[in-house]
Amino acid sequence: MISLDTTKCIGCCSCSNVCPNKNITKEDLGDKRTIRYKKCSEFCDICVESCPGKALILAAQGEDVEIAFDLVRCTVCGEPFATGKMLDRIRSSVPEDLRVDSSGQSWVEICPMCRRGLERERAARPVINSRA
Amino acid sequence: MPVYVDVSRCIGCRSCEVACKRVHSGRSYMEVKVIDSRASVPVTCHHCEVATCTMACFSQALSKDGERTAFDIHKCTGCGLCALACPFGVVWTDKWAHKCDLCKGLESPICVITCPAQALSLDPDAAPKRARTRAAAAVALAQGDKR
Repeated sequence: MISLDTTKCIGCCSCSNVCPNKNITKEDLGDKRTIRYKKCSEFCDICVESCPGKALILAAQGEDVEIAFDLVRCTVCGEPFATGKMLDRIRSSVPEDLRVDSSGQSWVEICPMCRRGLERERAARPVINSRA
Repeated sequence: MPVYVDVSRCIGCRSCEVACKRVHSGRSYMEVKVIDSRASVPVTCHHCEVATCTMACFSQALSKDGERTAFDIHKCTGCGLCALACPFGVVWTDKWAHKCDLCKGLESPICVITCPAQALSLDPDAAPKRARTRAAAAVALAQGDKR
């Protein structure tokens, strides 16, 4: 059985992803992410090993737990894309000077799809101008 | 040693995307889109010298292997932090992460081999070299006309 430290959970997709018995499920609905932990009787610790926040530990007693996160919206397209704690984790693991693009804009708050779009736009602009 | 893109040569045919998909079990690590009907740009992993995705990966599934940013699927938990740590949005995650591996095992990445417009290259100087050759040819032609 497992026990969850809700202060350490960053709301990523690891545990729900690796659980072989689907005892942990993740649901994104609008700008809310809910992760549900069913009381499990398995003798495995894959989720514990796979947690980037070390929020899970093996425990003698277990119970159904649910944790919810607000998803942060992309500053470009406005779509919800990650939990605030996941973005905090990026800010703490990537040095500040690497978290800005060539124009000095922070890219952490932009969703990956829009980052690709901006990258494409940057690369295409000189060619488009030369073809105008 | 990333794949260098000469945007002025890309014709937007998406052959690179298809070839990438074929080699990587139905998943493409390259995405081509047309901008303003005037240019098309393939985007893929830059294999950054200082790779922020490797800093965010807590399980060491992403690491620098010489110039390559290597990915080991067996160590990946699918947390999705790498996708959020890539400034260019070119690490994808669904169940696991997936990204360009420069077709390790092949003599050259399949996108470079496949591109019919020679827009992709492993040589960062490919585009300037071609420009110089064109300029030299134009000069030779002009001189030939005078004779």
